[in-house]
Amino acid sequence: MGPNGSGKSTLLKAIMGIPGYTVVEGEIMFEGRDMRDLKPHERARMGIAMAYQSTRPIGVTLSRLIRELCRLYGTSPADVSGLGLEELLNRELHKGFSGGESKRVELALTILQRPKLALLDEPDSGVDLESIRVVGKAINRLVERGAAVLLVTHTGIVAEYLRRVDEAHVMIDGRIVASGELPHLLREVRAKGYSGLAGGGANERS
Amino acid sequence: MSVVDELARAGGTALYLQRNYDVLRRVVADSLRRRGLLLEPLREAVSRHSWVRKLLWRALPREEGVGLHGAFLYVPPGLRIQAPLTFCFVVSEAEQLVHNIVVVDEGSEVLMTSACASTERGEAHKGYTEVYLRRGARLNYVMIHSWMRETRVTAKTGVEVGEGGSFTQFYTCLKSPSTLTSDSRALLERRATALLSTLYVASPGSSTTISSTLILAGEGSRGEVLARAVAVRGAALRLPTRIEARAPGSRGHIECRGLQLSPDSRIETAPILCSLHGGSQLTHEAAIGKISEEELYYLMSRGFTEEEATSLLVRGFLETGIKGLPKVMRPQVEAVLSILARKAVG
Repeated sequence: MGPNGSGKSTLLKAIMGIPGYTVVEGEIMFEGRDMRDLKPHERARMGIAMAYQSTRPIGVTLSRLIRELCRLYGTSPADVSGLGLEELLNRELHKGFSGGESKRVELALTILQRPKLALLDEPDSGVDLESIRVVGKAINRLVERGAAVLLVTHTGIVAEYLRRVDEAHVMIDGRIVASGELPHLLREVRAKGYSGLAGGGANERS
Repeated sequence: MSVVDELARAGGTALYLQRNYDVLRRVVADSLRRRGLLLEPLREAVSRHSWVRKLLWRALPREEGVGLHGAFLYVPPGLRIQAPLTFCFVVSEAEQLVHNIVVVDEGSEVLMTSACASTERGEAHKGYTEVYLRRGARLNYVMIHSWMRETRVTAKTGVEVGEGGSFTQFYTCLKSPSTLTSDSRALLERRATALLSTLYVASPGSSTTISSTLILAGEGSRGEVLARAVAVRGAALRLPTRIEARAPGSRGHIECRGLQLSPDSRIETAPILCSLHGGSQLTHEAAIGKISEEELYYLMSRGFTEEEATSLLVRGFLETGIKGLPKVMRPQVEAVLSILARKAVG
């Protein structure tokens, strides 16, 4: 968790290897391997998948992208049947989606990659509660299937729908300023605001 | 298995196959022949039916030296043919000059495909096709060609669309030659409609000009020119397009997009709108660009290699040009687009 501009999305993009998000200090280890020299598609094929904040505007229809992902990862469109994508399938990705549609599309594409590690960038920002509920349910299924999920949020709303959260951290200005049980951290954030935690807590880590 | 059986199995209704100047196959389903559909070598048609002679070089400017070596198709009134009528022209030696005439009579609806190709010894193909659609007639014409690199190709299509008629043309090339000049022009009468669509990937070092012209001659006529062109290394592509409105209530639109996959490729679009009547409405949009890095990396982060991602984007780009394609032809054209997209990055 963290306020806007705290570096949460940057962290995910650095893990994914997106150009412009180069690691200048430290390592990114995945299954015992340093990922820093690997291209995004190599990281993806090792099992890392990312759901972006919104769907990128590219000139491919959603149905074709789903078909290609299923071919690449041996998955099936049925794996994402609960996300209500039927009406969106023939839409070209550059035609745009509403906030809720975009979150569902991104999560669906991520699930179809059969990830070992799913990076979810703000799956609850700017969407209605029903969409967050659907997304939360899909995240729970992803976890049940054995994926690790690294989810970033500035509102924390999606947490209400998650069945299992092992670790929670608050990030401000690129640093983890507090760590602990999610319910406790949520209470802290709601009581003090992010600025109130910026001074650092007992569990501060960088 | 006979040719007729093969044709029936493929869902076709008529086939005309010409290699160089020899007609190798000419097949028409019995049900169509009984209803008056004619498919003949043009030379025979001109000698048998005096009215056919009057159509020679009416929809196209006369070309000297072009004989009557081609096909003549006549579709009688009121026929609806959903499965394709197929024309194949193969050049396997020196030069092939082809002249075709297609007449679709009142109220008929036809799907026609042409598959033209060359072998290594085919030096040049020049094809001239005249299409006459009478009142209310509809023709979907899908051209899927495949040329050896060495073959020089010239293709000219002239179309007259009668009142309330409809003409759609899709042109694509599985293998593009080093030199290709294509010119399609359609004249639309009252309330007639037309769509000229080109999906083209220019091969390395090739020189291509694909021209499309619509003349909106009749009141309320509507037409659209659509082009999606991809240029790879060293390819030069010109896409001159023109819509001329001569009648009130006519509407036309040009949409021309080029994608450059290599910095040493060249694409030139030249959309011209010419309105000779105040009551018409003409628009155009043209764009040329390269694949955006953001799109590329988005797909790469989903696991596609750079080549796979580029191919997917090329395919998506071409796919936006197939609106209006008859459903029955979609699988074939989609398969062609997949091959083109793979080859574009190959």
